[in-house]
Amino acid sequence: MSKDRRPARPGAAALLAVAPLLLLAAGAAGAADPQACAACHGPAGNSIDPAIPSLAGQPAQFISTALFLYRQSSRKDPQMTPVAASLSNAEMNELAAFFSKQKPAAPSRRTAPENAAAGKRLAEKYHCVQCHGPALMGLQHIPRLAGQQFEYLRTQLRGFKAQTRADLDGNMTSAAQPLSDKDIEVLADYLAGLAAQ
Amino acid sequence: MPDFSVTTCRLVGRAAIAVTAAALVLPAYSQQKADDKPAAPTPPPSWQQGRSTEQASSPLHPFAIHLTGKSAKELPVDKLKVPPGFKVEVWADSMPGARTMRLGDKGTVFVSTRQLKEVYAVVERSGTREVKTILKGLDTPNGIVFSKGTLYVAERNRIVRYDGIEDRLDSPPEPKVVVDNLDPNKAAGHFWKFLGLGPDGKLYFNIGAPGNIVMPTYMEASIMRVDPGKGVLETVALGVRNSVGFDWHPKTRELWFTNHGRDWLGDDSPHDTLHRVARKGEHHGYPFCHQGDTPDPEYGKNRSCSEFTAPALKLGAHVAPIGMRFYSGKMFPAEYQNNIFIALRGSWNRTIKQGYNVTRVSFDANGKPKMEPFLTGFLLDDKADPPMWGRPNDVMVMRDGSLLVSDDHNGIIYRVSYSKK
Repeated sequence: MSKDRRPARPGAAALLAVAPLLLLAAGAAGAADPQACAACHGPAGNSIDPAIPSLAGQPAQFISTALFLYRQSSRKDPQMTPVAASLSNAEMNELAAFFSKQKPAAPSRRTAPENAAAGKRLAEKYHCVQCHGPALMGLQHIPRLAGQQFEYLRTQLRGFKAQTRADLDGNMTSAAQPLSDKDIEVLADYLAGLAAQ
Repeated sequence: MPDFSVTTCRLVGRAAIAVTAAALVLPAYSQQKADDKPAAPTPPPSWQQGRSTEQASSPLHPFAIHLTGKSAKELPVDKLKVPPGFKVEVWADSMPGARTMRLGDKGTVFVSTRQLKEVYAVVERSGTREVKTILKGLDTPNGIVFSKGTLYVAERNRIVRYDGIEDRLDSPPEPKVVVDNLDPNKAAGHFWKFLGLGPDGKLYFNIGAPGNIVMPTYMEASIMRVDPGKGVLETVALGVRNSVGFDWHPKTRELWFTNHGRDWLGDDSPHDTLHRVARKGEHHGYPFCHQGDTPDPEYGKNRSCSEFTAPALKLGAHVAPIGMRFYSGKMFPAEYQNNIFIALRGSWNRTIKQGYNVTRVSFDANGKPKMEPFLTGFLLDDKADPPMWGRPNDVMVMRDGSLLVSDDHNGIIYRVSYSKK
């Protein structure tokens, strides 16, 4: 995939399939349908698209916070912005609770052998484990990185480094500054192949 | 510094500050052109500023609020405890980030936010309580005051007034500026403001220190006041790291305020503090001296604590005192008259957590203050992460003498009442 392009999104067919479900979710107050999310984020929130993050087993507060940031346009995304715009706080909390309880699938990516040890070293050197936890499973508003999709992780890290990715508290913007392009590549590859515990 | 949502320390160029300031208070970021922009180096977020090298791998971190709020039904509110004869109940929820509370002339409870951009109003009509979002899109509207039909709001950079708002909650008037340019340095750190109305009719507000432990510049680390009719600013207190709660003694009419001590000096040092302003313009110590008796390891080297006004009471290390009000209601027992209730929103910068309660400060015959917990039960496990399920933020005495307590972590307001039996 080209380095400078945003990763490809699901094809038109997938979006068409999603649209009615989204409308359903918006229409029924207090009853957001997780199936609508699953259309892009994968069955039970386990994404099969390298550019789309897995939601399964993410801390509930991370999911509700992300939806909130999309709704108030701090984070922007062609797919997520309209979805979040129609969700109430209660619906965001319901979706967050649902996906936080789903079991993370085994990683769909296998880390390149040369990146396994190097990635672990970088995750310690750059203090990833300090906030995301020793197993990189996240807590509270801090996401699970273990087994997250490669392209998604890489895009976020590049965004934080470029200071263009919305940041709740400045921590990630700060943490990403010393990362080289190569570091980001290695970290994303390492994290994407790491099994959730 | 127990509050959350601060970004960079100020010892960097303006460009770095501008691009890394809190996303929640700036217009939208774009993920486009991520690779085109040169990245200026950024220092650690301001809550990490002042950490020693050995503390760099500390697991201690501030806690983020639930930006979408939490329903009281999902929370262990049955764990809340008050002294015998008192009762605590959920009064209203669905107000994410609920902070300062103020009472309108007609009984409306106005509720501010800090990390959100809204001001809420709670109205009671024929026994049912309704929460309305009355103001939107404000910049860090933490400080509010209601007086003679007008709601004053202290945003990050200015104080504005909404006249006659209580009669038109569904279509509030346009704001009028009382005073502007209150954030001249646009620095990260403690940029949210508390607002109080003094017995002199002037609006009092804080300008916090622009980091955990840094040398403040002009106007920073102070409490100021402004005559809303004239717009003239005066300095009330200096050397105040960050005060996000103050009130006036009902009898002496003196100003008292809570203050947050610095972080990363250890589990038990320094204390957060309660201060009395005996004279306008006194210096309360920051950044040179903490809690009246502890010189700062860096800034205290050439100064003495005796130069500064000592606090009236030490409240505990890192407990994050926010809202405080004197009690002059008629409901609670007589010994509560002119006591102070203080909402403790922390601690996070401490290995074993403490605080997370509403504390009562009473005074002995010599006027010496002492403190005891009043409303507890938010802190469930002092070694857990997070240790608490809710965070008291402000207190307000209602006309019937009951006490409202806001919890910005969940967006809930509780009511404490008393009955003799």
